[in-house]
Amino acid sequence: MMLRMRIVKRQEPLGMWGSCLVLISALVLAVMLSGLLLWIGGTSPGGGIAALFQGAFGSRWALEDSVVKAIPIFLCSLGVAVAFRLKVWNIGAEGQFALGAVGATWVALSFPEWPKPLLIPAMIVMAMAGGGLWGFIPALLRQKLRTNEIIVTLMLNYIAILVLDYLVYGAWKDPASFGFPMTRAFSDQAVVGKIGSTNINWGLLHCVVLGAGVWAFFRFTRLGFDLKASGDNVKAAKYAGMPYDYLVMLVMIMSGALAGWAGFLEASATVNRLQPSIMVGYGYTAIVVAWLARLNPLSIGIGSILLAGLRVGVENLQLDLQVPAAFGGILEGLILLTVLAGGLFTHYRIEQRKNP
Amino acid sequence: MGCSLPLIRLENISKSFGRVHANRDVSLEIEEGKILALLGENGAGKSTLMSILAGQLQPDRGHIFHKGKRVVFSSTEKAIEAGIGMVYQHFKLVNALTVAENVYLGTRGGFGLNWKKIRKNVRELGLQYGIDIDPGARIDGLSMGERQQVEILKLLHRQSNILIFDEPTAVLTPREADNLFAAMKQMVARGKGIVFISHKLEEVMAIADNIAILRRGQIVDRVPAQEVTSTAELAERMVGREVLLKVDKSPVEPKQIVLKVDRLSDDRLKDVGFDLRQGEILGLVGVAGNGQKQLVETICGLRRPKGDNIRILGLEWGRFFRKPDWDKTLSYIPEDRQGLATCQGLDLLDNFLLTTRGGFTRGPWLQYDQARVKAEHLLEKFDIRPPDLTACAWQLSGGNLQKLVLAREFYRKPRLIVAEQPTQGLDISAAEDVWRLLLKARDAAGILLVTGDLSEALALSDRIGVMFDGRLVACFAADDQSKVAEIPQLMAGLSV
Repeated sequence: MMLRMRIVKRQEPLGMWGSCLVLISALVLAVMLSGLLLWIGGTSPGGGIAALFQGAFGSRWALEDSVVKAIPIFLCSLGVAVAFRLKVWNIGAEGQFALGAVGATWVALSFPEWPKPLLIPAMIVMAMAGGGLWGFIPALLRQKLRTNEIIVTLMLNYIAILVLDYLVYGAWKDPASFGFPMTRAFSDQAVVGKIGSTNINWGLLHCVVLGAGVWAFFRFTRLGFDLKASGDNVKAAKYAGMPYDYLVMLVMIMSGALAGWAGFLEASATVNRLQPSIMVGYGYTAIVVAWLARLNPLSIGIGSILLAGLRVGVENLQLDLQVPAAFGGILEGLILLTVLAGGLFTHYRIEQRKNP
Repeated sequence: MGCSLPLIRLENISKSFGRVHANRDVSLEIEEGKILALLGENGAGKSTLMSILAGQLQPDRGHIFHKGKRVVFSSTEKAIEAGIGMVYQHFKLVNALTVAENVYLGTRGGFGLNWKKIRKNVRELGLQYGIDIDPGARIDGLSMGERQQVEILKLLHRQSNILIFDEPTAVLTPREADNLFAAMKQMVARGKGIVFISHKLEEVMAIADNIAILRRGQIVDRVPAQEVTSTAELAERMVGREVLLKVDKSPVEPKQIVLKVDRLSDDRLKDVGFDLRQGEILGLVGVAGNGQKQLVETICGLRRPKGDNIRILGLEWGRFFRKPDWDKTLSYIPEDRQGLATCQGLDLLDNFLLTTRGGFTRGPWLQYDQARVKAEHLLEKFDIRPPDLTACAWQLSGGNLQKLVLAREFYRKPRLIVAEQPTQGLDISAAEDVWRLLLKARDAAGILLVTGDLSEALALSDRIGVMFDGRLVACFAADDQSKVAEIPQLMAGLSV
């Protein structure tokens, strides 16, 4: 029998429960598809998925590690979400993250003796300045030369990584590192500490405060409203006298500054120095998270922990079942695809064709 | 009439969306060789009914009969097979393709294409109905009227027997409209049935054989066109009460100049100059595309003038738009409500705040709670439906959206109003409300009324300006009868 289906546009938006159901179904489908891939690869799908979850959330150590990795993903994602709100496609969180780490490191290495209450804020400011600058450049080019911000932000990522490499291989290299590309370890004053006896650093608190701040910014401020309106309809924003060009600059700087903050936390709290190994693609995962979360700060929090857990979990998968770690990337991609495909159901529904 | 079965008969069609009954027990007959005009206010359910006929929507109850046989249009293909063809307000054409290619798009059967023969066929098909169009021309080089002709050719090529025109004259110049009517007459002469949806009462009177009036989802009246004696009568049947097509206006003393345009020229405009005072309405008429759009956009800050040619409320253009106030200033009511005046994806409160946000700003904060109170009040006062601030703008019908824009713009207590086709697409009672609002606002403001509707301009304006080819060719008092009589020639660019 032929399935006779047709797609009908929804007259009213899908409610919250419906949206949740669609999201959960999409995630389940992604897990099932990845199970299929594991099976093709000769691994038991059930065991593989179990090992993945066990490795991500199954122990205190795993859970803490997932949260630690979620912190930079969250901040980068919050940043790109701000830009995406305005339909400015900032793909450059990775580079802005790198420049943020560079900015913070410069302060940490130059003034290691400053007291902590002075040094940490100074590092944050420089990290935001570095990341913000890396967001400002593509915005300026877009305004003045009508370049495409997707291309420019993407290209600037590679430049940022080369800048970072140049510094840690050259001027900032620790003489005592036996030739490894890394800076000196930060002084104690330059390190964001851990919460109690856990492995989680105080960056988690930064995330909560910044997430709430961004949410409140869009919800309650005039500027947030202007951004929301401009993101919906540029022509209407100009009609209403909103300074669109200025708003684009602003969101790109904000976006870069948040990613830069993530770079600061990664250098200060996680590795206590600057080294090329901090660049592990959080800035790209952040884009996936922002889309999954539909740019909502709270959902970005959940999405960050989920995708960070995936990164942690695949290590377990690799150790236990010898599945390559690239499997994590595959699963991340599958989740993005199924969730985006599920987006169809928020605007359309499928009904059976009635035949007389 | 009684001897042949109607092409399409609708029987007790009902359709509701949530709690809204878009159609209730609608019964209609579309007959061979007749033009049926469907009249109704905004949101009366015309579009829903036509979507059901075109197979896009399924009725909740009721049946459709095609030549006496019951059919179910479960898809658009089914409706097309039954010979139903729609000419939409927004054309469904591929701009990069030629006329002939568009006409043949979607045609089935055969593998090779003989373009020479196809073009010849298209040409001949058009000429049968008095449609003279080059089959090799690309769509993006055509005028709106010509594009509509291509849409019609598409349907004729598919041998559609029932043609539905959804406000076809909205995008046409008067001449193009005449051509359309001639083509429609040709079609009915060849036995096709036509449904003509329009707001323009004169057109309905002139061309329809039968008139059906839809109000709040129900057919309230069905009359042969000969039995209708005047447009006023038709209007009355439509809104259910006597309508004043004539607006009473008492003269207002013109006060200070609120807008001064002095020899404005750019790539489209040539030496446009006029003054507008508080207390007067300047009606700007002309065939669309003669520079009105550019003039309005320049005055309203969307296009930069070349020099210091414009003074708004006593300030130079640049200084005025550097930091405009939110109230007691310039209000622009654009023609494009969906694309320019509102954000379709945002809710009604956000759309209310779009231009009034200056009044609800304290420091960096926007006072949503206060705005909500004011906006609730306006929804009620202007009878905007649904009266729900959390509804999104895209959920509103065109008329309600326009009411929202007007409510918002008048809330700003403007000193200068630029109203562009403010009643286009509105039903008569809504249009009357708009006229009354404009006349009331005239006490405090100068109004530049850009309209394609001459009777509207004459009813409201204190002075009339005529635009042709980027120039303001004439500007005179609206009660200067000899000048008013010359308007058609002026609009056509003939010097008088």
